[in-house]
Amino acid sequence: MKDRHAREAIVVIGGGPAGLAAALAAACKSRLKVILIERDRELGGILNQCVHDGFGNFVFGESLTGPEYASRFIEQLQSAPNLEVWDNTAVISLKGDRTLTAVNRSGIHRLKPAAIILAMGCRERSRYQAFLPGYRPAGVYTAGTVQRLVNMEGVMPGEKAVILGSGDIGLIMARRLTLEGAEVLGVYEIMNRPGGLTRNIVQCLEDFNIPLFLSHQATFLHGKKRLEGVSIAPYGSSGKPDLQKEKRIECDTLILSVGLIPENELSREAGIEIDPATAGPVVDQDMATGVEGIFACGNVVHVSDLVDHVTLSAQAAGRGAARYLSGRKPAGKALFKAGTNIARLVPQVLSLPVEDKVDLYIRVSEPAEYVRIAISSESGEIYNKKERIVRPPEMIHLQLEKELFQNTGGGDSLFVNLQGGEADGG
Amino acid sequence: MSKTLKAVILELFTENGLDQYDLNIQESSGIVTLSGRVDRWDQVVLAGHLAGGLSGVKSLINRVNSPDSILPPDPVKPDPSSGTLTRADLVIIGAGVVGAALAREFSRFKIRIVLLDKESDVGCGASKANNGMVHSGIVQEPNSLRSRLNVRGNELYEEVCRDLDVPFKRCGLLTVVFREEDLFLLELTQARGEAAGIPVEVISRERALELEPSLSPDIKGAFLAPSTAMTSPYKLTVAYAENAVMNGVNLYLDTAVTGFHSENGRLKKVYTTRGAVETPFCINAAGIYADRVAAMAGKEEFTLHPRKGELILFDSAHLDNHPRIATGVLAIGQDPYTKGGGTMITTEGNPEWGPTAFEVPDREDTAVTADGLDRIIDKFSRLIPDYDPHKALITFFAGLRAATYTEDFHIRPSGQLNGLLNVAGIQSPGLAAVPAITEMVLDLAGDMGLKLEENPAFQPLRKSPPRFRVLNLKARKKLIGEDHRYGQIVCRCEQVTEGEVIAALNRPVPVTTLDAIKRRTRAGMGRCQGSFCLPRLALIMARELGVPIHKLTKSGPGSPLFSRPTKLEALTGEGDAR
Ligand SMILES: Cc1cc2nc3c(=O)[nH]c(=O)nc-3n(C[C@H](O)[C@H](O)[C@H](O)COP(=O)(O)OP(=O)(O)OC[C@H]3O[C@@H](n4cnc5c(N)ncnc54)[C@H](O)[C@@H]3O)c2cc1C
Ligand SMILES: Cc1cc2nc3c(=O)[nH]c(=O)nc-3n(C[C@H](O)[C@H](O)[C@H](O)COP(=O)(O)OP(=O)(O)OC[C@H]3O[C@@H](n4cnc5c(N)ncnc54)[C@H](O)[C@@H]3O)c2cc1C
Repeated sequence: MKDRHAREAIVVIGGGPAGLAAALAAACKSRLKVILIERDRELGGILNQCVHDGFGNFVFGESLTGPEYASRFIEQLQSAPNLEVWDNTAVISLKGDRTLTAVNRSGIHRLKPAAIILAMGCRERSRYQAFLPGYRPAGVYTAGTVQRLVNMEGVMPGEKAVILGSGDIGLIMARRLTLEGAEVLGVYEIMNRPGGLTRNIVQCLEDFNIPLFLSHQATFLHGKKRLEGVSIAPYGSSGKPDLQKEKRIECDTLILSVGLIPENELSREAGIEIDPATAGPVVDQDMATGVEGIFACGNVVHVSDLVDHVTLSAQAAGRGAARYLSGRKPAGKALFKAGTNIARLVPQVLSLPVEDKVDLYIRVSEPAEYVRIAISSESGEIYNKKERIVRPPEMIHLQLEKELFQNTGGGDSLFVNLQGGEADGG
Repeated sequence: MSKTLKAVILELFTENGLDQYDLNIQESSGIVTLSGRVDRWDQVVLAGHLAGGLSGVKSLINRVNSPDSILPPDPVKPDPSSGTLTRADLVIIGAGVVGAALAREFSRFKIRIVLLDKESDVGCGASKANNGMVHSGIVQEPNSLRSRLNVRGNELYEEVCRDLDVPFKRCGLLTVVFREEDLFLLELTQARGEAAGIPVEVISRERALELEPSLSPDIKGAFLAPSTAMTSPYKLTVAYAENAVMNGVNLYLDTAVTGFHSENGRLKKVYTTRGAVETPFCINAAGIYADRVAAMAGKEEFTLHPRKGELILFDSAHLDNHPRIATGVLAIGQDPYTKGGGTMITTEGNPEWGPTAFEVPDREDTAVTADGLDRIIDKFSRLIPDYDPHKALITFFAGLRAATYTEDFHIRPSGQLNGLLNVAGIQSPGLAAVPAITEMVLDLAGDMGLKLEENPAFQPLRKSPPRFRVLNLKARKKLIGEDHRYGQIVCRCEQVTEGEVIAALNRPVPVTTLDAIKRRTRAGMGRCQGSFCLPRLALIMARELGVPIHKLTKSGPGSPLFSRPTKLEALTGEGDAR
């Protein structure tokens, strides 16, 4: 841990799947030292608490548990002699000139590496950010916290739970708590469609007879010391809960799965531009942010439902950082712009000339069937693809050949639209 | 004279539609007792306020009830056979900011002091759930105790905070009006300030916008009160309590007072849920329950009614477009729910909006309402139009003001028990008034015969444990060098280290709950509200306190954080929980 080496290094912040893949890719493509910094006691990020399987279908062609998926990467670390891991180390400051401050039990470390890859993942929205009023008793936790408590610390949050929000983590915890002998009374979702993947609805709720209530919202938390109940009401047409139909459910635990927020405090401090749609840095196809020498990948860029996408974007970032250090600078930039029924997309920037395939990740705003995804420049359509069904929880991944962009020039806008297929709103 | 008072009250009841109820009014030497039955809680409060607001009324006992009244649970019956817990020269009931400050101030003298609280930590009542504002005193009714003690308290504050190493910041207050017709209120305030010796300056719209460009351009004028300041209310309470304990005060937590024992009208014992404390003197600083405690001497002497206040806190990273000076709005006929509220920045750097103010029947009702949140956001979004409260919000909470119906502090010896002093009705600006309240109570206690001989060993200074986040590089390095646990971050949002958590667990005031850790270290007070640090804190607490992780509580008995070990953990004792 000699700070003076840092000037010659690539530093990766965060040792989840994104940081692991980025560090390995960078170490393989560059001869510089790569330092992987992780604040937790072990590498793997969120994956360590995901004891269920379903990871790696795309990257490895098989279904692994979270820790298994992570270990595939952790095992490779040894074979990268230029890669160094600093665990139990938190990065607490990052400046736009790439000066970063990290802290661990051996002291404070100030580094100014040649390139930085951000892979800090995301955090969960709290009960307060979900505007859920009432008392503030024990027994109200976010799903990821419960997952860590149960799977890593071996302790149960409670015995009679209501789950708010049908995001994947909430669905997975519904099953996990049931298997642990707790009673899960139901999952309540404010939207008129589930927030999580279909496979999780089937495998985590339906297989265990746990009811899912759509278009419902929690209105009040009861219990002065420990949670005693939660009031729930149908989500009215006015955009407010229909309090006439409010009912109270007795429970001792409320688990929130109401959204993830990319953890970009360091990015903001460094002056990196944040896309309001993704809540993550604006990046190009190499995952380069707007601040020179700083790259970003994984959930810190945009929340992914599949770890495989995280790994791919991280490998791109690792390669991109190595390429940047070899001195290559883009000649120009075009922009991808979200059009009809596109909620957000990554990358937002296309650096020119395009030298590799471009991975484009898209989330739609509304579910729709029989659609065409079209990309057009001012002079006409350059790409289209038909999809039978698109849904907001499932990210669309397009691999675009570099030839598509032959005529794209600096300053051009590329519009991504979803055509045809009425958005069915349900 | 007394007949007229009664007649005036009757008249007021008639004017306000309360004559349809058969309310009974009794009066003797300025103490008015109301009884009877109405339909709703707000009528109970109205009756109390109408009578209590009259100038001849010294105390108001309100026994009126309604179907939605919620009586506080009957106190546990004193058990005279439960044995003696300890003996003291002075017992202080309630370790809120008032009780803790009194304990510290009395520890300057050679007396044996016992400080009691029914909760598992100090400051768990109103003292942990308020704005932390050290008001200038300008809004208080002139000539009231609230006004006098507020102004004096403000003068003394900086020194107290310096001695106790508690944050204090003189931010000033900028109160605006939105309508031409309200401009006269500014002049009125200035005149009032002059009379009370409080600096207040009326300033133009332009000057106000120059001082705080984030304010709405629609404002018409403002006044500036430079002496308004901010402190950290729970830190101050902890600091007072710690300094008291350092100076020999015996603190008993999880100990509720249940009654008094007297002989010939003279206090002999204070009964608690853990035995009796033999003592000739007692100060009742029991917050919202102070009327109940006062009545344990025999009968009621005054009645408190809880007035709820809700507050919203925002991310300390979202300071752009937010005023640095505290702000408020003045208007004739504005929404009474948010009238007294404002915007400010806490000493920890979080923008804070509120509080609301409304009467609730339940003395335990600290629930935040959707309506309250809406009203706060509506009102202050208008004042600071470019701030996005929805994006910046990190938490909200509510506290209860312990108001008498005369709406002034009630700081008087008991009318029925020699040796008992009631320090009650300490609603807003109770925090701001604290240093002045202690001065007044010291005098009163002397008058009551408590012998106060200076303790030469008194140590007025107390140091806060180090906070990694606010230290410079050199100090951080040194700290980690001395104890490497200061290099392990456990709360990512507030950058709290394991070393700080362990230090908090080893201070003069015992810390046994997650909330107590949070108030000491800020772990869990940031933007993720504990989702990251909870498992980490739980592991450290279990290890340091030597209890199984599933026995930890959030705020003491009845608030378990977890239910049991998982099946695997129970079988193998593996996993990471230790
Ligand atoms: C509960 C859950 C279930 C899932 N299920 C599946 C599934 O079945 N299949 C699938 O394919 N995908 C699944 N996913 C998605 C996948 O796990 C995530 O997309 C992936 O873990 C994101 O990887 P990441 O590296 O970006 O973030 P993370 O895994 O969150 O890693 C970020 C890392 O950065 C570290 N870090 C952050 N800030 C700092 C700092 N300042 N200093 C040092 N270190 C820092 C963190 O400690 C963490 O280890 C699931 C996700 C969750 C949350
Ligand atoms: C929303 C809100 C905002 C406010 N803002 C401000 C402000 O900005 N500035 C300001 O100056 N003031 C403010 N106040 C007022 C301020 O909070 C109070 O004046 C102050 O905290 C009162 O302190 P206390 O010690 O009297 O009461 P508390 O803190 O309530 O303490 C009373 C203690 O007595 C204990 N107790 C009760 N019964 C018993 C019993 N039988 N046995 C043992 N212990 C018992 C309780 O557990 C409690 O700890 C605000 C109040 C609220 C509610």
